[in-house]
Amino acid sequence: MSIRYASPSRKDVQTPSSKRPSWLSYSLDITSSEFDILCLSTCLKVLLFPAYRSTDFEVHRNWLAITHSLPLSQWYYDTTSEWTLDYPPFFVYFEKVLSIPAYFIDPRIVDLSNLNYDAWSVIVYQRTTVIITELVLATALWRFIRGAIDPSTQRIISASLFLHPGFLIVDHIHFQYNGFMFGILLWSVLMAREGNKLASGFLFAVLLNFKHIYMYLAPAYFVYLLRSFCMSPQGAILPAKFLSLANTVILVFVVSLGPFVLMGQLPQLLSRLFPFTRGLNHAYWAPNAWALVTAADRVLLRYVKRSGANVALNMSGVASTSRGLVGDTVFAVLPNIKPLHTFVITIAFQLVFLVKLWRRPTYKSFVTALTLCGYTSFMFGWHVHEKAILLVLVPLSLLAAESHAHFRTFLLASVAGVFSLFPLLFTPAETFVKVIYSSMWALFVMMPLNRRLYEFPPSLPFVLIDGLEKLYLAGFPLLQLFVTVFPILAGSSSTPTTTCTPSGDFACPEPDPAASTSNSAAMEFLPLMLTSVYCAVGLVWAFIRLGVIYLRQK
Amino acid sequence: MEEFLTQFPPNGTIRKKPKRLRTTSTQSDAGAGAGSAQDGPSLNTPVLRHRFSTQSMNSYADSETSEIHAPIPRRHHIQTTETRHWLRSSSHSPGPSSSRDLSPLSTPNHRSLSPLRHESFSAHQQAFPASSSSTSFPSPLPHLHHHTRHDSTSSHNQLRHHLSFSALVELEKEKEKERVEEMSGMGRRWLKWMHRNGMKEWVLGAVIGGSMWVKWCVSLGSYSGQGTPPMFGDYEAQRHWMELTIHLPISEWYKYDLQYWGLDYPPLTAYVSWLCGIIGNVMDSSWFALDASRGIETPESKLYMRSTVLALDTLVYVPAVYLFTRIWLGYRSKRTQNLAMMTMLLQPSLILIDFGHFQYNGVMLGLTLLAFTCFTRGRDLLGCIAFVLSLGFKQMSLYYAPAIGSYLIGKCLYLGVRDGTRHFIRLGVTTLLAFLLLFLPFLPPLSPVSFPTCILDPITRMFPFNRGLFEDKVANFWCASDVVLKWRKWVGKGGLVKLSGGLTVVGFLPGVVGLVRSGWMTRVRSGEGLPNTPESKHEGDGDEGEEDEHHHDEPNHTHDDNTRHDVESPEEGDGSIPITSLLPHALLTSSLSFFLFSFQVHEKTILVPMLAVMIVMAGASVDSAAFEWAVLVNNVGVFSMWPLLKKDGLALQYIVVTLLWNKVIGYRPFHTDSISLVRILAIAVYAGMAILHILELMISPPPRYPDLFPVLNVLLSTPVFVLAWLWSIKCGIEAFWALGGLGSSSTSSSSSTLFPTSTKLGGGVTGRRERKLSMLSTISEKTVDGHGESRREFRKSLGVGSGSGSGVGVSSGLALNGLGSGHGRWRAGS
Repeated sequence: MSIRYASPSRKDVQTPSSKRPSWLSYSLDITSSEFDILCLSTCLKVLLFPAYRSTDFEVHRNWLAITHSLPLSQWYYDTTSEWTLDYPPFFVYFEKVLSIPAYFIDPRIVDLSNLNYDAWSVIVYQRTTVIITELVLATALWRFIRGAIDPSTQRIISASLFLHPGFLIVDHIHFQYNGFMFGILLWSVLMAREGNKLASGFLFAVLLNFKHIYMYLAPAYFVYLLRSFCMSPQGAILPAKFLSLANTVILVFVVSLGPFVLMGQLPQLLSRLFPFTRGLNHAYWAPNAWALVTAADRVLLRYVKRSGANVALNMSGVASTSRGLVGDTVFAVLPNIKPLHTFVITIAFQLVFLVKLWRRPTYKSFVTALTLCGYTSFMFGWHVHEKAILLVLVPLSLLAAESHAHFRTFLLASVAGVFSLFPLLFTPAETFVKVIYSSMWALFVMMPLNRRLYEFPPSLPFVLIDGLEKLYLAGFPLLQLFVTVFPILAGSSSTPTTTCTPSGDFACPEPDPAASTSNSAAMEFLPLMLTSVYCAVGLVWAFIRLGVIYLRQK
Repeated sequence: MEEFLTQFPPNGTIRKKPKRLRTTSTQSDAGAGAGSAQDGPSLNTPVLRHRFSTQSMNSYADSETSEIHAPIPRRHHIQTTETRHWLRSSSHSPGPSSSRDLSPLSTPNHRSLSPLRHESFSAHQQAFPASSSSTSFPSPLPHLHHHTRHDSTSSHNQLRHHLSFSALVELEKEKEKERVEEMSGMGRRWLKWMHRNGMKEWVLGAVIGGSMWVKWCVSLGSYSGQGTPPMFGDYEAQRHWMELTIHLPISEWYKYDLQYWGLDYPPLTAYVSWLCGIIGNVMDSSWFALDASRGIETPESKLYMRSTVLALDTLVYVPAVYLFTRIWLGYRSKRTQNLAMMTMLLQPSLILIDFGHFQYNGVMLGLTLLAFTCFTRGRDLLGCIAFVLSLGFKQMSLYYAPAIGSYLIGKCLYLGVRDGTRHFIRLGVTTLLAFLLLFLPFLPPLSPVSFPTCILDPITRMFPFNRGLFEDKVANFWCASDVVLKWRKWVGKGGLVKLSGGLTVVGFLPGVVGLVRSGWMTRVRSGEGLPNTPESKHEGDGDEGEEDEHHHDEPNHTHDDNTRHDVESPEEGDGSIPITSLLPHALLTSSLSFFLFSFQVHEKTILVPMLAVMIVMAGASVDSAAFEWAVLVNNVGVFSMWPLLKKDGLALQYIVVTLLWNKVIGYRPFHTDSISLVRILAIAVYAGMAILHILELMISPPPRYPDLFPVLNVLLSTPVFVLAWLWSIKCGIEAFWALGGLGSSSTSSSSSTLFPTSTKLGGGVTGRRERKLSMLSTISEKTVDGHGESRREFRKSLGVGSGSGSGVGVSSGLALNGLGSGHGRWRAGS
């Protein structure tokens, strides 16, 4: 891959015959390798148009219909479809914008009562919008290269993010707009890197109004902007800067929420955004600390039942284990977890990192703290969804080339995190797609980075850790083999292993109770549980690693 | 590329200059493909620059002596038509990476920063005193590195104003390298990146895995006849064959309910269907229940069917391509081999038909390719078996039969009377046995039906002369001319069969005659040893008349040597007799002539010539005529299947896969310095294609002509195929000529103009010598001290004739500017 130096300042060297061939790359200063990656990714993503799509596809189509056919005042009240609006206003405005061309392409797309419409036109349209809006991500990543300290490494990282299997699985197959929104997040981080902190804060406020899940990251932003933008290095508060930032953020929220506040719909809006009616774990346990705790509870229950030890069992917990798939997680042996507990633990961990950030409000420190904030929320949050792992993996990627320790953390978290996304696509046809793609991505990203950053473990404990980590990574192919083969061996032929499609921020509908109490349901749950627990081990370890690295950093 | 970039941040060119200069000599030889050697394992590469400060001292010292230049690679001057006005430009513009505003230099806290960089950089700072100029910085910078950045960029500007001549030369070299890299396409850039990042050994796996991934993604789409009862399409046909083979006795296979997709492919297809059916039946018996499963379209059965295609493709086509690239391109660099592999594995038409439309062409093509590879290695018997299997899988590979048959006859002639006869008998027996084995279950002891009918059933099914001249719209001569001349009205069916047969024979005759005749002309005469030894050729070359006597003398010797060679050297010489170089074009001629002129051709059959195109194209450099033609035919081939793909609902895949392939191979028809006839033709054809697609999108055809667009498609595609056919004949003739096939007296003048390279190389070599040269080529490859690319180009140009003539002119490094125009003319001619 080459570089194409096509900045305007070079024009005079270029004779007509050596004119840069592609007007696009010529005018945009895109090197041919970057252009290659753009083309390649677009081609691959377009090829995935006919692939499996989750109910999120219908969710977003329904939102197109809602925003197109209803007035603003009814957006958050409509219940024609079960997939009601539960994203913040900016995203809804965004859907409104998308619904306009949709109407011209096929009016049936935006027909509110046309539920579960899945004609080729709507598939192509919605999938195309994902690809096009992802250009925000592409642009942000491209700008990351341009100002980078080490452009060659940054280019690998940027490419790795743009071609991230997480985005491929969640956006281009499962269907969501994460690429677009992470594009805004990265843009905001980029602004922080380039010293334009006001813009950074502005973009983050915008992002929050696109999808409120980014609140997980808000503490790091708050501390960083407060310390490094609103205060002088000596600690004196700079009121002018503070006011400008506050005004910017307030302005964004006014634009977003204002109309709904005026209509007095704020409570309804908030009740849609924050439905506190879910269990500790999602249907498929997100691979976090609670997955390990839940698994430990299941194991203990087995042990207690078998040994007949005299332990007080929580009977609803026993029932919960046999239900397998869905519903509130109630522990049988261990004490139950309440939302408050998770909240306190999350805050406590975040505080540790935020204090560090307060003391050292540099860009690198900020990115690490940002990652750790997201990571803490993912680890200990209430009802975390497995897709939230992207909140960790994306900012963590920016740190991948900091040192070998960082790289190792990135490697473990990425492999475990991407693998934990696999159950999102449970159809056999997509198994090949996700496995091959993710392995190739890992190869192309990890090998060069490893080569650049490799360090021999300095002492015996590190050698041991290194060995264990390698062993852990080597377990993934085996796990995948097990997950693939198990349903066949269990005799359930080739029917999908899950009846429930985990989707968006929605709980799965309660499955048929007869099926879920049967043994086969438990057997179907086994691969999922194993995946979750195995990935959780790696992610918890990576969390500890990153935390220690950050806190030990001078 | 990443590595490359590190070294050329804004002030990179200058800073790096010492190293660049030192490595120039090796660089210039390694040429476009080699890229910067910075990361390679060679001695003077600064791999360790990050770690050891002592190294920096060495480099510093080097930089002092760096004004010693390696010769500027001339081929760059030939390749590029850029003017050199920059030499005179007073205010020089920024270095190549002015767009980058931060260099590794500006990262004092970064671990990759080495003292070396500082030192060599500061050395230059001293060398070029300060001055200033302004540069635009497209992107703002991290505030953290503000001061450093300022430092480095300002000094960068200073440097720029005081570029020495050598620095300018360096700059220009960089530019040329960029240009070459740009020209090389995505595939080659990726290969280079892989090499540079130490992932050489992963390339093969990645190529296979990536191509499988693409194929599988295409498989996610719809297939032919999806949701169109009662007959469905090719998918249902293949599935139905699996169904009937596992439930019926063999004798019933070719008779069962012929109206509903009766089996009409040769036995190997039936056997493979049986195998797939058996395995699928174990998984889920409802997929292949007799009669009950007709039109089954469950996702699981689709998944299974799709995976059988992928499995068979991976088991047959992929290894065949692998062997082909490793053996046929044995003398080329690994990168070229891998690039050829990517080209063949991502070939859009095959992917679209096999994985989209649904067929198993990969098996047939893979077997043919295997046969070809065996022939080029002299493993004729194996090749025969592979080709019989290919024929036994799909009768379409009969399109290759004239070329392959005449190649084998030519080889028998080449071996001389005694060996030739022996060889002929062995070939004949092997072929017969292979056919016998293939049809064994249909023959009397195993079959309840008596002899002639038991074999006639399958055969009449396979060759449906009772069908029409063509079905649907196919881009061949008959369908295209049918617009004007209503053949079916004028000539009866019997007459049409004869007419098409006759035309087909005329069509492939040039290839056949070339092979047989050159086999005869180059036959082993003097028995002085190896057919590959140039000395023996020299002496045997004396007079045509003497040859007969000579080769009677020591035929055994020859034969032994030949076989010995087979065993000993795994290289070029073994089994590769002179006429092998004629085979690719003969295959192309023959298959295209069948496609264009024979009876009952389907549009999908273009895949058959396409394989020959791939063989011709393999290893051709991006600016060679062979490449141009091959890509054009390929793209037009895909385009000619557009009506079919549109019907199958594969429009999206059609666009994506085609564009991806063109991007990977680095085809850029609209960006070129040299305009050749093919280029003009290609641009015209692409414009036509674009217009047709847009028209089709915008207006529906008038009710009077519902087939307007397919017919226009045919009218656009057919001329290209006809021209390609003529081109392949021409190439065949040239290659034949190169072997000295066209008599002796007239060649001297024409050949010297035809082969500028050989003239260049051999000085006053004339007519007769041309042919010696072609024999010599294998030897000279070993002796010419160049890198793989040029050697191979050299050989190919001699062997294949015009194919990559321009490539030779470029890479041999001997061509002068004067000749540059010569080869331009030559390319235009071809």
